[in-house]
Amino acid sequence: MDYLVGLLLLVLTTAVINNFVFHFFVGICPYIGVSRRLDTALGMGLAVTFVMAVAAALSWGITYALLRPDAPLALAVCRLFAPGTASVDLSVLKYLVYIFLIASAVQFVEMYLRKVFPPLYKAFGVFLPLITTNCCILFACLEIGSDRRMSGGAEAWDLAQALAYAVAAGLGFTLAIVIMAGIREELDHADVPQALRGPAIVLIIAGILAMAFLGFAGVDAGVARLFGR
Amino acid sequence: MTTDGGPSAMKRFVNGILPENPVLRQILGMCPTLAVTNGMKPAMTMALAVAFVLVCSNVMASLLRPFLKPHLRILVFTLSIATFVTIADRFLAAYVYEMSKALGPYVPLIIVNCIIISRCEICASKQGLGPAVGDALGQALGCLLAYAAMGTVRETLGNGTWFGIRVLPAGAWDPWVVMLLPPGAFLTLGLLLGVVNWADRRFSRAAGDRK
Amino acid sequence: MRVLTEAWLVIALSVGFGAGLAGVHAALRDRIRANQAAEIRAQIPKLVPGADAGRSEEVRPGVFRALDAGGRPVGWVLQGKDQGFADVVQILVGLDEEGGKLTGIYVLDNKETPGLGNRIEEAEWRAQFAGAPAREPLRTVKGAPSGPGQVRAVTGATISSETVTRIVNATVAEWRKSRAAGKD
Repeated sequence: MDYLVGLLLLVLTTAVINNFVFHFFVGICPYIGVSRRLDTALGMGLAVTFVMAVAAALSWGITYALLRPDAPLALAVCRLFAPGTASVDLSVLKYLVYIFLIASAVQFVEMYLRKVFPPLYKAFGVFLPLITTNCCILFACLEIGSDRRMSGGAEAWDLAQALAYAVAAGLGFTLAIVIMAGIREELDHADVPQALRGPAIVLIIAGILAMAFLGFAGVDAGVARLFGR
Repeated sequence: MTTDGGPSAMKRFVNGILPENPVLRQILGMCPTLAVTNGMKPAMTMALAVAFVLVCSNVMASLLRPFLKPHLRILVFTLSIATFVTIADRFLAAYVYEMSKALGPYVPLIIVNCIIISRCEICASKQGLGPAVGDALGQALGCLLAYAAMGTVRETLGNGTWFGIRVLPAGAWDPWVVMLLPPGAFLTLGLLLGVVNWADRRFSRAAGDRK
Repeated sequence: MRVLTEAWLVIALSVGFGAGLAGVHAALRDRIRANQAAEIRAQIPKLVPGADAGRSEEVRPGVFRALDAGGRPVGWVLQGKDQGFADVVQILVGLDEEGGKLTGIYVLDNKETPGLGNRIEEAEWRAQFAGAPAREPLRTVKGAPSGPGQVRAVTGATISSETVTRIVNATVAEWRKSRAAGKD
């Protein structure tokens, strides 16, 4: 029960309080670029959520099997070539492995969707290649594989927590981009000054939205108290 | 014009500073611009890290020009960028540990910073070492200027300091804390973009009138 | 097989870059580790008067016995953390040798609101903890403290201030428990 409450708090914190767009500033480029219309914004948000879940699961697996100091798989492979290796630390390859993983994950998701779910592929289709350079995914992988989580103890995450984190982050991004799209559709009828048209007004509105989201700070403490933590 | 028909190194350099400024005109690499500019020190450290990675990966892309296959191109660029970012990250952790902790996850995010991949794609993979380095330095300088503008506004208004040195007297100025928080970042960048757009329109109109 | 010949560049680069990174890692690893350890050690002389950073030893993870230049014990430095308003707050607590009084605190890491919760880092606010009694839990109060066991909260940042007090109380209590159990 306590575990589930922990998951709930994690989802709440990641989706709303530490929103990826309004708190961590990741995913801004697609946020500005794809938030013109509600349906494209929703499509992009859901595509990002889907890819994040896949990438997070894979990166969790690779981190704990290979990249941690003294990870089991790395140790086993090393001992094949040099028996008697006491310890091995591949964490310097973290960024290379993650970006490789994300690029491959996006490729595979694209191929898989094209074969198995053609209508879904048509809906996501144009966004998928863009997602590789979306900071959100790399940021989530970095958080899951961060040094303080890799060193074990209370900070380490299991697969369920990593997945909950990734899905919550994706949903938070979707929330942010859908809100912006709704506003921008209305903005078409407003008289925006020439100099501010385009990304400038989007950023200013994002600033006001960020201010609104600041109001959620501390909500997790309240919810935790509700569950008696 | 260089032998391969593209702009010369000098032209690439000058272009990167204002006409094709990566942050303010091409609207690329927004994430670090918003995240690390709440003080001048982290902003400049990040600008230098970006400059290092830009120059190294442009050089690498230019040297690998004859071997690049069309569909593996992006992967090659990404691998080389990831390597140089790791090197920069390790150096920061070794020699300026405090700043490395302050910049946190935003240094590895340079890997997916659109500025670097787009320069590799647009310039370095098509031209020789000279223009590639000129381009990298110009874009890096443009990036640094944008960060400096953001950082100055946010730190002075939000804290009353600049590079940690107090510039607005503590008693006289009540700091606008919102500038150090996310809303301040978005608002500052949005208004900065607005100013740059207005200036561009004004001066190109003036230049057009003079013709 | 065709994939392999087309991907030879990617493979070669991966191997090359991997080797390069391994070299950089080997060259810088010790320095980075020293930086991480030094951060805490550098605070020990500031927290416990008379302590020597180099001679003090880490008895258990997070518990440092402060020794002076001659090797004599002069106090303790404890590491503690808990969830603050925005994110986890990490602090160091200085204790005198018997554990009767605090000698000070230092905020290692916090992501509290700049200008408000962030002010727990200020030396002026932290000075309240130097000389505070450690045998009873401290309490945070909003106005001026009426006794030695009370800490004045930062104006407008009650939660961040309460977090620090909570961490101090919990860390000292845990240290006292393990001391009584004979672990130190």
